[in-house]
Amino acid sequence: MSRVAAEAAVFARSTYLQYVALFQWASVRGYVAYKVLLPVTQILFFVELGIYATGRQNALYFALGNALQLTANAGIFGVIGTVANERQFGTLPILLGSPANRLVTFLSRAIVNVIDGIATVIIGLLVAVVLFGLDLQHGNLPLLGLCVLVISGTTAGLGLMFGSIGLVMRDAIIIANVVYYILLVVCGINFPVSSLPGPLQLVSFILPLTRGVQAAREAAAGASLQQVAGLLGGEVLVGLVWAFGGYLLFRLLENYARRGGLQEAY
Amino acid sequence: MSTLARAAFSAFRVSMRLRVVSPWAYLNWLVFPMIFAAVGLFVLSRPGAPASHLTYGVLGGGLIGYWSVAYLDGGNGIQDERWNGTLEQIFAVPTPLVVILLGKVAGSLLFGILSFIPTVALAYFGFHALLPHVDALRFAISLGVLSFTFFAIALTLTPLFALWRWAFQMLNGFELGVYVLCGFMFPVAILAPWAQLIAGALAPTWATRALYASTTTEGAHDYSTWWFAAIAVSVAYLVASYFLYRLVEKHARVSGDLALA
Repeated sequence: MSRVAAEAAVFARSTYLQYVALFQWASVRGYVAYKVLLPVTQILFFVELGIYATGRQNALYFALGNALQLTANAGIFGVIGTVANERQFGTLPILLGSPANRLVTFLSRAIVNVIDGIATVIIGLLVAVVLFGLDLQHGNLPLLGLCVLVISGTTAGLGLMFGSIGLVMRDAIIIANVVYYILLVVCGINFPVSSLPGPLQLVSFILPLTRGVQAAREAAAGASLQQVAGLLGGEVLVGLVWAFGGYLLFRLLENYARRGGLQEAY
Repeated sequence: MSTLARAAFSAFRVSMRLRVVSPWAYLNWLVFPMIFAAVGLFVLSRPGAPASHLTYGVLGGGLIGYWSVAYLDGGNGIQDERWNGTLEQIFAVPTPLVVILLGKVAGSLLFGILSFIPTVALAYFGFHALLPHVDALRFAISLGVLSFTFFAIALTLTPLFALWRWAFQMLNGFELGVYVLCGFMFPVAILAPWAQLIAGALAPTWATRALYASTTTEGAHDYSTWWFAAIAVSVAYLVASYFLYRLVEKHARVSGDLALA
């Protein structure tokens, strides 16, 4: 029991330190630029594009999809950024040299960003409600909240996977940019997954967001937990697989980086 | 004159060589435009969609890539020197700063305009989409005017980004807002009237309008007004940039705190 408590303490401390030292947007200007302006303009751009292409009656489809995709802003950029910043600040070799439990250290990278992802979605949904009249009166709000929580966790799982690459790659944040925007194409954010070519549909189903966004759309339309349980279960599973894969890759690349002295390579 | 031209060309050549080996450059001219073009084409090329929609899908991604490279790469002309530790040397050389930046921004524009190649290829091979009707001469002039507007914006942003780092953060966060206001992937006419007013103060909005008009026979074709508006607003940016460069010079040479900004 004492060991569990000790690990929990390490987890809490690591999470706190990750926030104070490595959180990407820990300044008012940075937060306003990337957590308020970017979400608002992303929703504006895609909703206006959708209105132009399909008419005003479909605005909410685009608004909701993009508001939910904003979880990836924290889950992908934030999580990948923690490892990238660790390298940039020169603390990566110290981290890798510490005796701390790797799994605990690894998972603690995601917590602040999951919380931040939820905050970003709330901003996005507010924008959708105020600017485009997103009507959630008939929606199942607790279930929608659960969907947001799940999506934030699963995108962070994907972020953990790609964040591991930061152990051996200098510009890991480039990966974050690519992954973030690819999610816009393949996860049913702006058009149904069925519109994609076959191979891309396969890709969409192994990525987080696809099922979560679909579940959230149904929750917004008033569906019950039973109706979307399969989608949410699948979303959780996908997120766990990515996070576990990320942990394995982290251990693999940790050894590789240590052997090659790549932690400080520029 | 030939000395200045040679200096500008050297700046152009060095910046191009640095760009070719930078993964960030490929992200901006290749990856982002392709992704935005893909989303645009999927959304805009629905069965029965008007030809004008398809035009926005074909050119939109390229315009987004062109803009991104122009403002990110071109606008960071001085910032890059600061990061590379060459800021003092740039100011110490006898060549005027603006000549060096001219070469660098020209390099950015050349690299940025390449964005149209992958996006038009994606439209053609992936969606069998073509521009329905191109008025080649007016298209070329409009693209030239658009390039001038990007050139003016990059030259104006360069001192702005150097003086106030937060300016870059804000514009970077607002990037998709610029796509909206400049009408890169859909016409500005669908925006609210107040947003159209703001859009009118952005030079690329007018050039983009002319560019899209040259690909269709529908709608208004008031090219001369649009070209004139784009050039006039760009010249206003350049006038403003003159004062910003004076401020940069002051910070670099008089107070010596530019490298610390």
